[in-house]
Amino acid sequence: MKVEKKTSKLLTALSIVLAIAMIFPIFWLICSSFKQPNELFKYPLKLFSSDPTFQYYKSVLSGGFMNYVKNSLFLAVVGTLITLAISAMCGYALAIYRFEIKYTNLVFAVFLLGTLIPGETLTVPQVSVISALGLYNNIWGVILPVVTTTTGIFMFRQAYMAIPLSFVEAARIDGCPEWKIFTHVMMPLGSSSFVTLAIFSFMWRWNDYILPMLILSNQKNFTIQLAIKNFIGNTGVDWSSILSASVMSVIPVIVVFVILQKYIIGGVSAGGVKG
Amino acid sequence: MAAIRRKSNGMKHTLAFWMFVLPSLALFTVFFLIPLVLSIAYSFTDYDGWKTMNFVGLTNFIELFQDKSFYSSLGRTFVYTLFSLPFKVIIPLLIAALVCSDRVAFKSFSRTLIYIPVLLSALVVGITINWMFSTEYGLVNYIITCFNGKPLDWALNQYLATFVISFASNWASTGFYMIIFIGGIKGISNDLYEAAAIDGCNTTQTFFKITVPMLAPTTFLAVLLSTVNLLKEYALVQGITQGGPGDKTTFIIQYIFGQGFNQMRYGYASAISFIVMIIFALIAFVQFKMSNEGGEN
Repeated sequence: MKVEKKTSKLLTALSIVLAIAMIFPIFWLICSSFKQPNELFKYPLKLFSSDPTFQYYKSVLSGGFMNYVKNSLFLAVVGTLITLAISAMCGYALAIYRFEIKYTNLVFAVFLLGTLIPGETLTVPQVSVISALGLYNNIWGVILPVVTTTTGIFMFRQAYMAIPLSFVEAARIDGCPEWKIFTHVMMPLGSSSFVTLAIFSFMWRWNDYILPMLILSNQKNFTIQLAIKNFIGNTGVDWSSILSASVMSVIPVIVVFVILQKYIIGGVSAGGVKG
Repeated sequence: MAAIRRKSNGMKHTLAFWMFVLPSLALFTVFFLIPLVLSIAYSFTDYDGWKTMNFVGLTNFIELFQDKSFYSSLGRTFVYTLFSLPFKVIIPLLIAALVCSDRVAFKSFSRTLIYIPVLLSALVVGITINWMFSTEYGLVNYIITCFNGKPLDWALNQYLATFVISFASNWASTGFYMIIFIGGIKGISNDLYEAAAIDGCNTTQTFFKITVPMLAPTTFLAVLLSTVNLLKEYALVQGITQGGPGDKTTFIIQYIFGQGFNQMRYGYASAISFIVMIIFALIAFVQFKMSNEGGEN
């Protein structure tokens, strides 16, 4: 027996109005990005421009924006690949050897420190470690410090704890070495975790701000976020450029989300993965 | 013979375990554990991030406890957190209840749109909301003037500026906590709702008597996550006020960065970080305790 099945027009309308209100600021940003300054800064404000222009997209793109896109993509793709590889290995080991090796949980507890202490409070000494390693103003200086995520390790640990250990034992009896058990037997079984973490990691890295701001001082190494911040000058904001640059930074992430949203929603509701 | 083989297998497995864990552990040690130790070590020095590093004992901590700017930025952070927290948790809860209801159509469409702001970087969230609230030619002020109101000075009034930051933060996190609450609501047994319906409960009663109490663990998670995220708000502010007017929206993380990277006082910034770390941990601990006691009653 289902309790109430009849849909209510009023509640449906309320939820749709709410949804549209939530998306409206982004819509307003996109609409504004096509306006010329004489429409941008003139009352009455209109939603759609009467004379839409791509001028500011063009000027932002010709100002080296594609180079920033390239840097952001490198950070996001390489960072994500490393995160996937090391988190899967670590989560796998913490799950599979948990009965055999006594200190497994102790090792896991060390990683949990990463969630207890907010990274922002460690940024100052982190920057000196990065400089000491010679990674200042180097894209690797913003990749290596962030690729270890407790969330990712936790996710893989949970996934592999759900798989019966008999898979591993069967492979061992067949004489399969430990490393191959991971790459040939268990890795394919954790594929949905790979997809979920890949999406999240990509978004985290694409949106990273604090470390790139502190480490990448040379403009040719800037990521998209830094390029956008650069339009907020000391004397004032270059709104025309900032609007179109923001729109361009957002579009890829929204497209990825709309295509892969079932994994994202699944990841958030399963483990409270930070969005 | 068998015992020897088992032993050598054990060795092999131990070795394999460490090989699997090593990459994560090594990077975590270099970029998290060592900075953690350094943070404590620096806080007893006058390190300038470059050459000078002398042991100065407790000088940084003594200065810290007399530093008015430290107290005011910490105080602002607390006020901002306390003001924003109820909205951060209650609005997503209500929205989740709405988009889980059997009586609402097009649920996944609404959920998708509500989630989209979560995808934006904190900086772009700040910019998007700042654009709507800009004092001259901003949409919000335009609407106010259309109703014959006086346009508000969103950037130069500290309360209005804090409100805009809070609004932006809420806007960007609503979808995230909504999904968390939807997960919680789906975990509530349907039997409870059927029993309530048989007993003649209306929608409001069902919401307050069943949904809200059953969601207590989820609500706790949402409160904990949003407290930490509010306390360390930084990038969002960079897209809106950058700490201004003056330092009126400079929260504690920005104060640490300012002391460390602008004033080049790594030692002093580390001392603040150390104290802030302890305060954050205490807050999380108190919340955890309170939720446990609430659960026992």
